[in-house]
Amino acid sequence: MPYLGSEDMVKELRRALSNPNVQSDQLRYRNTILKVIRAMSQGVDVSGLFSEIVKACATVDIVQKKLVYVFLCSYAALNPELSLLVINTLRKDCQDPNPMVRSLALRNMTNLRLSSLVEYVEQPLTAGLRDRAACVRRVAVLGWAKLHNLQPNSEIDATVVNELYSLLRDPDPVVMVNCLRALEEILKEEGGVAINKPIAHHLLNRLKECDVWGQCEVLRILERYRPQSDDELFDILSLLDTSLVSQHPPVMAATLSLFLSLCSALPAVSLSALERVRAPLLAACGSTSRELRFTALCHIQLLLRSVPGLMGAHYKRFFCGYAEPAYIKQRKMQVLVELVNDENVAMLLDELKGYCTDVNTDTAQAAISAIGRIGRSYSDQCLQILTGLLGLKQEHITSAVVQTMRDLVWVCPQCSDTVCLALEGCEENLQDTQGRQALLWLLGVYGERISSAPYVLEVFIDGVRSETSLEVKMELLTATLRLFLCRPAETQDMLGRLLHYCIEEETDMCVRDQALLYYHLLHCGIEETRKVLQGRRSDPSLGVLIGRPVEPISQWAHSFNTLEPLRQGTVTTDSSNKGSPEHVTSDPKPNSDLSDDLKPCQIETVQTASDSASLCTEYSTDALSSSAVAPLSLSLSPALSPEEFERLWLQRQSLHAEQGGEEKEDGDYLCTEECVQCPTIPHCSPQNLQAALQLVNIQTLAFTPPHTLPWRVYLYTHTHSSCSASKPPSTLILGELLYTGEPKEDCSKMVMEGSHEQLTTEGEEAAVDRLRGRESARQQSQTEDVKVTLKQQPRDDKALKGFLSVLTTVLHTLSTETT
Amino acid sequence: HTCLHIHDNVLICRNYKGDVDMAEIDHFMPLLMQHEEEGLICPVISHGNVHFLWIKHSNLYLVAMTNKNSNASLVYSFLYKLVEVFTEYFKELEEESIQDNFVVVYELLDELMDFGFPQTTDSKILQEYITQEGAKLEVAKSKVPTTVTNAVSWRSEGIKYKKNEVFIDVIESINVLVNANGSVMSSDIVGSIKLKTMLSGMPELRLGLNDRVLFALTGRDKGKTVVMEDVKFHQCVRLSRFESDRTISFIPPDGESELMSYRINTHVKPLIWIESVIEKFSHSRVEIMVKAKGQFKKQSVANNVEVRVPVPSDADSPKFKTSTGHAKYVPEKNLVVWTIKSFPGGKEFLMRAHFGLPSVENDELEGKPPITVKFEIPYFTVSGIQVRYMKIIEKSGYQALPWVRYITQSGDYQLRTNV
Repeated sequence: MPYLGSEDMVKELRRALSNPNVQSDQLRYRNTILKVIRAMSQGVDVSGLFSEIVKACATVDIVQKKLVYVFLCSYAALNPELSLLVINTLRKDCQDPNPMVRSLALRNMTNLRLSSLVEYVEQPLTAGLRDRAACVRRVAVLGWAKLHNLQPNSEIDATVVNELYSLLRDPDPVVMVNCLRALEEILKEEGGVAINKPIAHHLLNRLKECDVWGQCEVLRILERYRPQSDDELFDILSLLDTSLVSQHPPVMAATLSLFLSLCSALPAVSLSALERVRAPLLAACGSTSRELRFTALCHIQLLLRSVPGLMGAHYKRFFCGYAEPAYIKQRKMQVLVELVNDENVAMLLDELKGYCTDVNTDTAQAAISAIGRIGRSYSDQCLQILTGLLGLKQEHITSAVVQTMRDLVWVCPQCSDTVCLALEGCEENLQDTQGRQALLWLLGVYGERISSAPYVLEVFIDGVRSETSLEVKMELLTATLRLFLCRPAETQDMLGRLLHYCIEEETDMCVRDQALLYYHLLHCGIEETRKVLQGRRSDPSLGVLIGRPVEPISQWAHSFNTLEPLRQGTVTTDSSNKGSPEHVTSDPKPNSDLSDDLKPCQIETVQTASDSASLCTEYSTDALSSSAVAPLSLSLSPALSPEEFERLWLQRQSLHAEQGGEEKEDGDYLCTEECVQCPTIPHCSPQNLQAALQLVNIQTLAFTPPHTLPWRVYLYTHTHSSCSASKPPSTLILGELLYTGEPKEDCSKMVMEGSHEQLTTEGEEAAVDRLRGRESARQQSQTEDVKVTLKQQPRDDKALKGFLSVLTTVLHTLSTETT
Repeated sequence: HTCLHIHDNVLICRNYKGDVDMAEIDHFMPLLMQHEEEGLICPVISHGNVHFLWIKHSNLYLVAMTNKNSNASLVYSFLYKLVEVFTEYFKELEEESIQDNFVVVYELLDELMDFGFPQTTDSKILQEYITQEGAKLEVAKSKVPTTVTNAVSWRSEGIKYKKNEVFIDVIESINVLVNANGSVMSSDIVGSIKLKTMLSGMPELRLGLNDRVLFALTGRDKGKTVVMEDVKFHQCVRLSRFESDRTISFIPPDGESELMSYRINTHVKPLIWIESVIEKFSHSRVEIMVKAKGQFKKQSVANNVEVRVPVPSDADSPKFKTSTGHAKYVPEKNLVVWTIKSFPGGKEFLMRAHFGLPSVENDELEGKPPITVKFEIPYFTVSGIQVRYMKIIEKSGYQALPWVRYITQSGDYQLRTNV
């Protein structure tokens, strides 16, 4: 921004510059130019002095030269004609005996960024490439890149390109690296500098000579090279090993990136590379620079997606310092959540508890939601802490706790008793929209267990006139109607008032429409209303995963060592979407009740949108009818907790072991084994498998990571046969997929057991969320075939067959996709 | 990556590649402010397809702008390198020093980076390119920088000293985090070996440490040895030699430099142990009792010990009693600073403080800042690392003296409190 009086200042400066007395006194002349540059960097427009400054260019004083060049490079674009005058001086300087003068002239010649000057620049640049001083060659090499950048569409001069390629052998490492950079730029259209075997090996051998920046450049460009044999590959890898554990984070990261790209077909090598970088990455997490610390943390999050146990023993390194910035604390907490295990959970929760009272409210809320996420595995300890936090009666803490509790209950319905108790009285400390929304949802869904629920709602309804938040009003409508369904006597009156207000006085269309919808719904009868409103109150399938699903490295390798992992939101939602759900997916949105109605069409969208598993038993039975089995539907409810599963499983297993039979029947219980050909299934990403199985209402409980042997999956479902009265109406099926990896005997064992259980079929739309963006890159296929084995109880052969055919179809679909 | 670099109210900027519109920088400060208000500060800020990667140094922001999906750690490293180079030139890097030296700043920026690519970043070499004293008139410095063609890029030829000496400083900082219940949550040692070289010619140096790996290699097992992790060397050290036989051999840069740094991840006993009792009686007073104990050898003495104890922001009328040293209330930081000039090992000292609290309580939530301790113990290293020898060989055959100094100091030294 121009200062006041800048015109006077320019005038003054012009007078001084053209004063012969000043011009003859070198020191005075230089000081005047200094003033011009100072004015320029203060934002004064001194472009008017261009012609005066051009004259000052012809000098032997290096300092003055540099000043003039700074000026010229800033204003050349405004005065292309006058700039032509400088070119002669610059070209003369290129002949100067002093290499510093030569390089200076050459650099500034190309920095003028004037396409009209290109013809004058080419000759000195060509000469510069052969200059005996390395500093001139460095500048000349990049000069060609600048020239090309100036005229991106001009023809590429093959002789220059050849010369640049030959300069890769330059003794000066910076010249070498600059050549790479220049060729990258010039040959951008052709995919950058071509890396053949001799060049790759040459670069690798000279890697150590380069400085940190050069090494990073070389490593990045080498990612393009594909070794021709395994021997060569391993030679390269061992050569890079020291860089992999380099103490310079950029070099380490660049090397790992190269490793991952070289070893994309060798997951085991990639995994061991990740192990190798653990120490330097941890060191980077303790870097004095907070930005580097942050970068390291973000990249650790990436690594943890594939090797969850990588940092387990080092969880203390992710404890937050008091004075650390919020962005680091929040990332550290995200990492800590991933590292939790039986040994450290007490310590970790204690630490997180300390962060809940952080002065930064965002950090405090992040800590609370981190505790909530751990609560999915260790609910008792976490609920105790969360309940304790409510006692602080701090608004932002209460709000975060209530939201966290809502999310926790959605995933772990067994927590609802504690949550219902804790909720009493916390409405006094809730001010923000999200917090009140969460409370209302809980009051609606668990209203029958919270004695004060009607009174709390009444306060909300009395204040609805002054309520500004649309979301709160909509949530309030739903909550009140839900409470009415279970406690009509206490709620009827206030529901009437609320509906009246919303229909008659409310100006917002969304609220009004929702109220009208509920009003009409009530006219259809209580049962109809109940069907619509009392949908799912939890989605245990989101939380019960015991073994964390492990992503293949290739899912994130491309974004490693870029800005991507650092960008807020991208990674956060990404990492939280996988495996365990986040607010994004599990958040029971205020209008979710309505969408419950639309389930069938939602499922259809899934079917068309997802090609990973194109069958859905509950609504379409084509898959089953095609295999000629009586209509059968699978369902996930009632949910089976991991503990329950384990108990039943072990009980059945011991029974089976005692009998020692291949097939065992005792009327009520069937246990059978069968093999199914589904190659590559153990290599497909757990998300895909889980999502695909969920589409057909088979719930996976635990996984081993892909590529590990023996590979196992535990799953369960309930079958429903709708046609026969003689058969048990429903059975419980527990299953195990096992892949041992031995070429001939490998088989996935499928063990199923059933037991009668009264069931209500529930819609299953969670798969919608789970499937989103779950496109995974695949590993190489294996030649061996895989088999599946089966068991069942109570005996219902048809249901079992139906189940098997569904499962087989899913596995086949997945494996064809994998290959 | 591409572009660079601004300070505060855009003190200086340089567009290295011309592919980012320089007007974009005008979005930076407002965005930063906005994020700050929302508490969402992040070292990467994006506006459209331009990303700002920034660091803050005293009152300056150094911002790199790029429209590529660049390598973040490289950009931050470069920005920190800038700070390092500027600090070496101007002692303090701040608005004034930039304004006073903007010529040199422009020169440096040109040498450090060209077309968006880092070029020469070693400050020793930069000094040869840069006409240091902007005000002093040197007519066309015609001397060619020797390092331009030199095999040893960090050292010029023809350096001469009357008396040839090397000063070696072994500095260890200990980082400790102690929980409120007194258990040590984490502790590590960050060590650094610094050199001040005043040697003529091109000397060959070899440094011997009591490195456990080395001792194991040579089959020696006498005396105390140290396991170093994350060892980082100055570029002058021949890494291949270190990797093959753990020898640290190098041609040193002239003057001051950091030869190596390392980290030792062992459980160290906190050298100064603090026990505190902080009792807060709402609406009336806060009573603080702090006991400090020197948990190091009796022969050693910790100097300039500062124990910083947090107090509530609304505390008033401080009263202190100390068994040694003196305590001072620093209201702007909500701290009591207890200073002990000299703290011998094995000794124990006590400080009591009493503050009044207003009857109307401040209901703003306050964090629980930890007690922090600062100290320095000369002639002592926690890890027990020792310089066993420093061999200096120069072809002229002069005799040179190595001097070694050890010091241990507090790094990030925090003890959490209950209040």
